[in-house]
Amino acid sequence: MLKGTSGKILRVDLTRGTIETQQIDEEFYRLYPGGKALAAYFLLRELPKGTEPFSPENILILANGVLTGAPFSTATRFTAVARSPLTLGFGESEAGGFWGPELKMAGWEAIIIKGRAPRPVYLWIQNDQVEIRDALDLWGQEPEFVQNKIREIHNDKLIRVLQIGIAGENLVRYAAIENELCHFNGRTGMGAVMGSKNLRAVAVRGNSKYLDWANDPKPIAALGRNLAKRVKEHPRSWDLQDKGTISLVESLNAAGMLPTRNFRQGVFDQVDKVKWAAYEKQLLTARGSCYACAIRCKREVALDDRYQVSHAYGGPEYETVDGFGPNCGIDDLQAIAKANELVNRYGLDSISCSATIAFAMECFEHDLIGLKETGGIDLRFGNASAMITMVDRIAKRQGLGDLLAEGTRRAAEVIGGDAKHFAIQVKGQELAMHDPRGKAGVGLGYAINEAGADHLTAPHDTMVIDPESIGYKAAIPLGVQVVPARELSERKVSNYAVLENWTSAGKVMGICFFGPAPRSFIGLDELVGALRAATGWDVSIDEILQIGERATNLARAFNVREGFTRKDDKLPERMFAPLENGVLQGVAILKSDFERTMTQLYVRKGWDPETGAPTRERLRALNIDWVADLLGL
Amino acid sequence: MVYKTRYLPRIKKVLVHLCLNGHLNWYDPQKRKSIHLALTQPTLLIDVLDQLHVPIAEIVVGVVNGKTVVSLNDLIVTDTDKVELYPPVDGG
Repeated sequence: MLKGTSGKILRVDLTRGTIETQQIDEEFYRLYPGGKALAAYFLLRELPKGTEPFSPENILILANGVLTGAPFSTATRFTAVARSPLTLGFGESEAGGFWGPELKMAGWEAIIIKGRAPRPVYLWIQNDQVEIRDALDLWGQEPEFVQNKIREIHNDKLIRVLQIGIAGENLVRYAAIENELCHFNGRTGMGAVMGSKNLRAVAVRGNSKYLDWANDPKPIAALGRNLAKRVKEHPRSWDLQDKGTISLVESLNAAGMLPTRNFRQGVFDQVDKVKWAAYEKQLLTARGSCYACAIRCKREVALDDRYQVSHAYGGPEYETVDGFGPNCGIDDLQAIAKANELVNRYGLDSISCSATIAFAMECFEHDLIGLKETGGIDLRFGNASAMITMVDRIAKRQGLGDLLAEGTRRAAEVIGGDAKHFAIQVKGQELAMHDPRGKAGVGLGYAINEAGADHLTAPHDTMVIDPESIGYKAAIPLGVQVVPARELSERKVSNYAVLENWTSAGKVMGICFFGPAPRSFIGLDELVGALRAATGWDVSIDEILQIGERATNLARAFNVREGFTRKDDKLPERMFAPLENGVLQGVAILKSDFERTMTQLYVRKGWDPETGAPTRERLRALNIDWVADLLGL
Repeated sequence: MVYKTRYLPRIKKVLVHLCLNGHLNWYDPQKRKSIHLALTQPTLLIDVLDQLHVPIAEIVVGVVNGKTVVSLNDLIVTDTDKVELYPPVDGG
């Protein structure tokens, strides 16, 4: 009997206006236990090859993990998957918050959304009652208004609302999906897919409890109590509560790898103005959380000074601080906070948006675009007001914003000349604020990931560089080795491959990156125990790693079918150029080293090193032979 | 009886400013990010950290008086040194 889940999938066809229920069985669920695995399975099975991302035929899947909603810290994540309008490949983004657990409590594992509504709608789910409701009055409105309005319509302040902003309505290719106004499925443009379906929001209310489905609820409840006590007893979880991710600014700067001025530099001279101490003094008002999570890693801010910043949309985290800050040459923390509020208000991926503005700044610096193209805006590095104006124009697709809304790869093609060298992207998705010239494994992840440049494919190299460090010791059961951060080698490949499988498994189970070792404080054996208690399965770490590897291979297969090859797994040229300043001045990745290591990585993953495609042997070992048949291998 | 007062030579303290960044200040019982130490003599940094229970394995970058230091193992801190220590960081 299926445990750990209701096993119910909601199928919605917005063109026909139909709602259906699908029940999955245990045999299926053990192979694809939710999240990325389940979503990738259905996308690969049901989306025809070559489907246009903005067409009604694209499929948007919102999938909980098997542990999403379990009452312990970090068990909050759900995955949004579709064909990405940014990369044209596998689009994927995870988010925390409260929406995923509420969907679980309403009795649903996943929602598969097809078609396009004839006019704006929202989906209303209250346990097993599901309706497609008119959203004409919500379209074009800000998320705070929409959330409040839906709660008012249904007379329930505890309804959890997942929605897009006007960026999604305007089909900005990196539009995000948000829940509770400050938790984001940010990457790969899933918000634009939702907007293309005229779907403004999915509102959920559920009355069940996760433990109702668990095979053995007591160990899960005990883990919840235990982790709540231990948050402050572990340096990494404590630090996430204390500083969030903001202190990465000064740490990466000291290490010479803080992305600065569109990744040209690794050190920002004005870092003291944007580091944690400045943030805490100028911006911080509170620390926020996700469902049942005791870490409280979210920052909350408010401002009423040179800029007015509402507290409703959350505060900037590291990626946003560096993206709109040093990477745009900007040292104005208040302006960064305002930019954060705008991207959250409009529903934009802050990484791609800030990186695209940095790209535009470099184009401006090199006279590839001028005042005529910018509409009179002096789009130089360091101009905070120009940066804020561009966020607004991108969301509304006005002026140059209309071109920048297409992402750096497409914008570079239109601008021409050297612009392509300033587009810091892989497969069309912009790099996050972590420089592979300082962390080689991050570079492998950027290159090989099916969704383009993603910094959360695996714990970073720096977690396992010292045998006495807490990160390394906690990761020993995974078989990792101590390897220097900038080394490219077989042993780096070995580390990356196993850590990628572990992280991918987290995306299947619904566990936040900030929970498990080596990044943070939840032991590997504790997650194994939680999965056993939830499902009754006699799982091991090896099976969990295989679950993660299976999910990655499904996503890879999707890309192979869409025509992606090894040629697409490449870093931007800037990574092979030296950093201009700091302790890593002159450091660049050697292209021959990188290609050699990528070959080793394909072999390690059981993929063809010529094409980058999974082999039949590997797919068979993962019990997904059908994928090999689908690809004609 | 005339007693002559004997003045002992004043011991000069070695004043060091230690900055514990990232999760490093978790190791200080008071969770201080900035610690001003008065040492009796120039001291190996690793000995100072040992006294403060800050594990060297959790430090990946050290900046002394604005300059990045390659190795902390042999570093001796002296009077007026400002030592900024940073841990290895992951993504988020």
